[in-house]
Amino acid sequence: MLYGQRLQVYMALGDIGRGLNKLKLMKDKSRKEAIDYLVNVGKAPKDPTERVDQFLDYVTIMPVDIDPQGLVNKIDHVMTTNNDRVRAEVSNLLAQTTQVAATASGTSMPALSPPNPVTVSISENLLEVASSLNLIHKIVRHYYLLGKKTNSYFTLIQLQMIMPMIIQEADALLNAVDSFKVGQPVGDGIGAAIASRYMVGKEKRVVAKDTVMAISEYKGRKLYVLKAEGPMGYVGQPGVAIKKVVEEMGVKPSAIIMIDAALKLEGEKTGEIAEGVGAAIGGIGVEKFQIEEVATNHKVPLYAILVKQSILEAITVMRKEIAEASDKVQQVLNRLIEEKTKEGDDVLIAGIGNTLGVAQ
Amino acid sequence: MSSVPGTDRRSKLLVYTIEECPVCGQKTKRAFQVGDYVTKESTNCTKCSNPTRISLVYAEPTKPSR
Repeated sequence: MLYGQRLQVYMALGDIGRGLNKLKLMKDKSRKEAIDYLVNVGKAPKDPTERVDQFLDYVTIMPVDIDPQGLVNKIDHVMTTNNDRVRAEVSNLLAQTTQVAATASGTSMPALSPPNPVTVSISENLLEVASSLNLIHKIVRHYYLLGKKTNSYFTLIQLQMIMPMIIQEADALLNAVDSFKVGQPVGDGIGAAIASRYMVGKEKRVVAKDTVMAISEYKGRKLYVLKAEGPMGYVGQPGVAIKKVVEEMGVKPSAIIMIDAALKLEGEKTGEIAEGVGAAIGGIGVEKFQIEEVATNHKVPLYAILVKQSILEAITVMRKEIAEASDKVQQVLNRLIEEKTKEGDDVLIAGIGNTLGVAQ
Repeated sequence: MSSVPGTDRRSKLLVYTIEECPVCGQKTKRAFQVGDYVTKESTNCTKCSNPTRISLVYAEPTKPSR
């Protein structure tokens, strides 16, 4: 290695090392916050530290993709299994011995009562944050040590280049903890917040796991409005829900309108509204696939309304600019309903996103 | 020069709850309390005494600390 390169390697190692220390502090803090929440708010009967540490290293193995046929269903199955396992594990950690059940012999004994669903969902979110930060730290440490061991100039320089973005993302995750702990709506919940306006006071029914639907009316159109069940920190299964409404309940919507938060590009304003076509939903792609399939099979046009925000704003408490965009989004939604459908039509509206702090 | 961002001097956020009266439309802004959520029934309207509903919960930045 040449003189100049050697100097640059030293500088890169110092830079990455500082970032790595910062990431370690962040992951330790998020882990501590999760444990504190389980103990202080969830009133976990036993010390959850060991289970939390096991949870942080839990892995989800993605299905093989060399034969892509049926891959989405396989991913869906793996992710559903993972989500169910996390929910069950958190519920077990928080199970309270508060109820007293009478036995046949007349004596009473403590029985497990189900924990508060809001507390369970917040615990799930906090553990997910801690798990993500743990993974980020591990990966950065891996490349840092690998670069150092092999004296690889290019490995270290690449890592040094992306370090600011990694720290920014980790910082956003850590900031999310404060909002999650007290159940405040996050920026990503704007879609759910809009949908909830059409659901208040209406009869709700569960149409998929953690997903509810209400029937409303607007200028002669019948609105089937769905969102994840709040005020828990759920995202629900909008793909399964839309499929069920269209294929099992026999609803023939003239349009599916989805409202979601979208990541803004640098320079774009927070709270800006964008309209478009297609399935407005993020995530791993399973829900998007399901919605696109239903819409294509039944020839239903898909419309999207997006509210722009940064990654930090999406996962931390909802900013004023985003909240204030909700009135404008409602106007856009009403206009879209009037323009794209006619009286007597059915319209499916899906509010997408984490519905923490937003009921219906 | 370091590429790792230093301590963030981001301004502090204050979280507010907006209560809206479904009858007269009056909006009231107050500090967020744990347990508040959108659509929750809240205090009575100061104008018409009907129960209000939480319509928004949002954060506003305070002046950046120097």
